[in-house]
Amino acid sequence: MILSRDALYHGSRLLLGTIFCYAGLVKALDVVAFAGSVANYQLLPYQLNFLVAAALPYVELAAGGLLLAGRGVRPAVLLVAGMNGVFMVALLSVILRGLDIDCGCFRPGGEGHTSALAALLRDAGLMLLAAAIWFSADRRKV
Amino acid sequence: MSKERNIKALWRNLQMALLIAGLASAIGLAVNSRLLWRVLTGRTLSEVPATVSEPTGTALPLPVELDEVRELQGDAALLIDARSREAFAEGHLPGARSLPWGEFEQLSASLQAEVSFKAPLIVYCSGYDCNDSFLLAERLLAAGYRQVRVFEGGFPEWRDAGLPVAGTQP
Repeated sequence: MILSRDALYHGSRLLLGTIFCYAGLVKALDVVAFAGSVANYQLLPYQLNFLVAAALPYVELAAGGLLLAGRGVRPAVLLVAGMNGVFMVALLSVILRGLDIDCGCFRPGGEGHTSALAALLRDAGLMLLAAAIWFSADRRKV
Repeated sequence: MSKERNIKALWRNLQMALLIAGLASAIGLAVNSRLLWRVLTGRTLSEVPATVSEPTGTALPLPVELDEVRELQGDAALLIDARSREAFAEGHLPGARSLPWGEFEQLSASLQAEVSFKAPLIVYCSGYDCNDSFLLAERLLAAGYRQVRVFEGGFPEWRDAGLPVAGTQP
């Protein structure tokens, strides 16, 4: 029981950390393209898209980095869950408004086209990972 | 662990999370400060020396902002859309003329036949991440047009300001 909880904790932590580090890195390297992805959601005024595009990748990198390092895992998981929650609300609004856009989750303005529904389901999966980390980290001092 | 302690721990973790988010955001904003400054002030072309705006021949196009585009749009200036024909068909600024940057060679003759060199032109494309409006404006100046300006916010800024858009896209 203890062993499997350890496996769940470290496995989820490393997986989620890798995903967020990757997502943050590709976006941090092309902020302008990512601003375009944010603008596609048509949720924010034009210039705010750039502020979000400049800051968000670094928050993703920080959260992902902490998860990978195994330090401050609980705050990092809260951050990931918070960002994921915002993403899911945004994606849901895209579906409700019937917009046909790329989610801009990873490669901004990239070749792949991930539909909002697929991205929403993927984010739900990430949310489960975050919950798994939170609860399996129960007795740890993290 | 008691419930009260759980809530306290959650609160502490939340504070830490917000602190990390704040620090990371600050780093992100600092790293991209030059880009953000350009976007927020709309002064991408501010390095252009003042002398080039003399009527004797402008070497570089000057920027124009959304408010002024709204005023000039219509009779006072001709809007030129440097984006692709497909993008133009989907949506463009009202009254704009399509002149895709890639087709300048083929289309410049008909433009010069119809539009006088004295006419003020405002060129735009798809926002700060596209250069085509600037490149096209340079070519128009080289072709002999006197008053060529670039609306750098382009179609996205116009659309996101809730201004009317012409085209097939609702």
